[in-house]
Amino acid sequence: MAVKKDLSIDYLGVKCENPFFLSSSPVGGNYDMVRKAYEAGWGGVFFKTVGIFVADECSPRFDQTNKEGLPWLGFKNMEQISDKPTEKNFEFMRRLKEDYPEKIMVATIMGSNEQEWKDLAKMCEQAGADLIEGNFSCPQMTSHAMGSDVGSTPELVKLYSQAVSSTTKIPFIAKMTPNVTNMVLPARAALEGGAAGVSAINTVKSITNIDFENMTAMPVVNGKSSISGYSGAAVKPIALRFIAQMLQDEIVGKAPISGIGGIETWRDAVEFLLLGCRNLQVTTSIMQYGYRIVEDMISGVSHFMDERGYDKLDDFIGLALGNIIPAEELNRDFKILPQFDHKKCIGCGRCYVSCYDAAHQAIDWDEKKRRPNLNEECVGCHLCLNVCPVQGCITPGELTWKEGRKPVEIALKHNYE
Amino acid sequence: MSKVVKAKYTADAVDGFTPRTAMEEAARCLLCIDAPCSKGCPAGTDPGKFIRSIRFRNVKGAAETIRENNVLGGSCARVCPYDRLCEEYCSRCGIDKPIEIGKLQRFAVEQEKAHKMKILKAPAKKKAAKVACIGSGPASLACAAKLAQEGYQVTIFEAAEKAGGVLTYGITPARLPQHVVDFDIKAVKDLGVKFVFDTKVGEDITVEELKKSGFSAIFVGAGLWEAKVPEIPGNDLKGVTNAIDFLKSARDSKGSFDPGKRVIVIGGGDVAMDCATTAKLLGAENVMIYYRRTLEEAPANMAEIQYATSLGVTITTNFAPKEILGNGNVEFAVFKGRDGASEAKVAADTVVFAIGQAPEDMTKIAPVKVTDKGAIAANAKGKTNVVGLFAAGDIVNGGKTVVEAVAAGKEAAAEIISYLEKKEGVK
Repeated sequence: MAVKKDLSIDYLGVKCENPFFLSSSPVGGNYDMVRKAYEAGWGGVFFKTVGIFVADECSPRFDQTNKEGLPWLGFKNMEQISDKPTEKNFEFMRRLKEDYPEKIMVATIMGSNEQEWKDLAKMCEQAGADLIEGNFSCPQMTSHAMGSDVGSTPELVKLYSQAVSSTTKIPFIAKMTPNVTNMVLPARAALEGGAAGVSAINTVKSITNIDFENMTAMPVVNGKSSISGYSGAAVKPIALRFIAQMLQDEIVGKAPISGIGGIETWRDAVEFLLLGCRNLQVTTSIMQYGYRIVEDMISGVSHFMDERGYDKLDDFIGLALGNIIPAEELNRDFKILPQFDHKKCIGCGRCYVSCYDAAHQAIDWDEKKRRPNLNEECVGCHLCLNVCPVQGCITPGELTWKEGRKPVEIALKHNYE
Repeated sequence: MSKVVKAKYTADAVDGFTPRTAMEEAARCLLCIDAPCSKGCPAGTDPGKFIRSIRFRNVKGAAETIRENNVLGGSCARVCPYDRLCEEYCSRCGIDKPIEIGKLQRFAVEQEKAHKMKILKAPAKKKAAKVACIGSGPASLACAAKLAQEGYQVTIFEAAEKAGGVLTYGITPARLPQHVVDFDIKAVKDLGVKFVFDTKVGEDITVEELKKSGFSAIFVGAGLWEAKVPEIPGNDLKGVTNAIDFLKSARDSKGSFDPGKRVIVIGGGDVAMDCATTAKLLGAENVMIYYRRTLEEAPANMAEIQYATSLGVTITTNFAPKEILGNGNVEFAVFKGRDGASEAKVAADTVVFAIGQAPEDMTKIAPVKVTDKGAIAANAKGKTNVVGLFAAGDIVNGGKTVVEAVAAGKEAAAEIISYLEKKEGVK
């Protein structure tokens, strides 16, 4: 009897069966795709962005980064908004909402001027969308009146948010671009313009690889390429950072945030929830693995809740946010020395190499026994723990206090995977 | 100098995965559509799904998939011939080598135990019908578990003093540690299945008595416990034994059993390999397997053959036993070549016949139809000629794998359920 928990959540006044949604992308671009996703267990969809503009796409348009044989660390795409006629897209959405009333339909739209935003908002209403998302953040649009160029200009974000919220009562979500230094500014602008919430992050402007055959970036389109959006596991840290900063803002932090960026597993999902997200969006890992990944998200989050005695998502949403503090407020009075389990140690010496070449030469290498020994130089940085290939071999050990500092009770991490 | 593995009798033959190494292995999985590995499992354990869960860091979900589909998931993970089942179907073979599915399954079950998970549940409200399962080996355990999950009241009658059948008495602990078997059996016990030990149905209690005491259906999963020993001169000498007795004595002794210095094992199946590795792990200096046919024709799993040879066991093929020589005790075994000309006279203190097992007399239990080999004649769903009596596992198929017995036990349970539902007054 598989453990099943109640994963339902209220997001912008809409009751969702779970927080797992497809993000606005190729994974939710027509009726059949979304139907299959619903049947796999996704709670809703941010339908592939619709504009008055119909995209003309290049080929090929994807690339990926990898490291040491592990593919898809990150993913680059040069795709724009939907290449289907506007009416057809709204027709898909209307039918999906009709056939699956329990599932949540978010219409993602992108206009190039105020009137287009208004017209699109109307069409969303007619299609029966539960929510509307404004795409202010696609970094590969061929028009500079749309996409991330808009999202990095707070005035435009506010103007277009106003255009939508003055046209319809359906809650409006502004999708943020990470190609800014401070996301709080456009997020505040969106809320000032009447947006009910924000979603973040869209893709990060990138060049993934340079091709030696054509002397251009990847993917190669007739010997040329462009800078375009990067997504997947590699961008999760960037997403979490922007989201934490927004949620810690006194104004933006009051609005519900939909988290996007490198979510593949239930753990990623829980991380976004622990920061305070109330909705989650996924594309890249679906592109790699398919809709079925939601099964393990649902199961994994259920087990996480079961272990900790949580009955609903609200029991743990936002629990980690308050523990992310400015660097100047961290307690810097102590160091935790690593301890080495010589029985578990396999004698590879990676800890020694890294510590000597990149830290504090705090490890002496016993050549005969092929074992590391800590010396006086250790500053407790834990680089060795991070390079050790053996689980549970190097662990946090003795805690020492710096000269003249006052010992207090310290919370530690004990278990490293 | 060949490097021969030296190991303890009770030590695991193969180390398991850590969470980190399990993830590394799961990352090699291609996550195929309509996973071929899942199609390759007779018991429907669904490796495609549980490996995907491991890969997506949902180990508890992986454990659920295994336990729900295969109540003996822990034991199967240790003894399945993957190279002929799931791993042979693995798409990764087209790139390099298959995913180590059995080892990932073992990891997930180990995690299930570590997290004290209780996956299977029986409904609180029991159905009125009671079912008796004869024997507590893989087929019976799988059948009982499925019935109990549906709310039926199940009692297992076992002739031996411990549950598990072949799992407990017929396999070397290096391959299948008792704690793994016990953990699987606990999952069955936790469903409310009752166990009655030291009770041989047909001798200590009759089927009629069972029926009188309220059992509306009987499942026979008796296994094969009659050792086959060829009719050759000298087969009664001291030191001549059979696989069942040899493995049971070794297992009961927990490693203090003396197998003799020079041990000859006759046979070419997994049981023969188990006898040979048992002898070697218990300290025999020279262990030799003799088999009447070629290695290609041998039924043993290649992994077990390789494990035996890694311990220094030799395998001589195309030689069949002709006679055993000795004076009270075994001194030599004489073999005749398949070519009709060769002969071998080999010194030995112990000769173990591992040439298969036969059914005990099943007609003592009930007037069932049996085959010429004494196996119960049942259809694929476990139905026999006796109304209300079902059978599956080795006692029907003549001795196959644990996983096939699990599959057959599950199948029979479904048939028993439909029989009981049709039977008047039993719901």
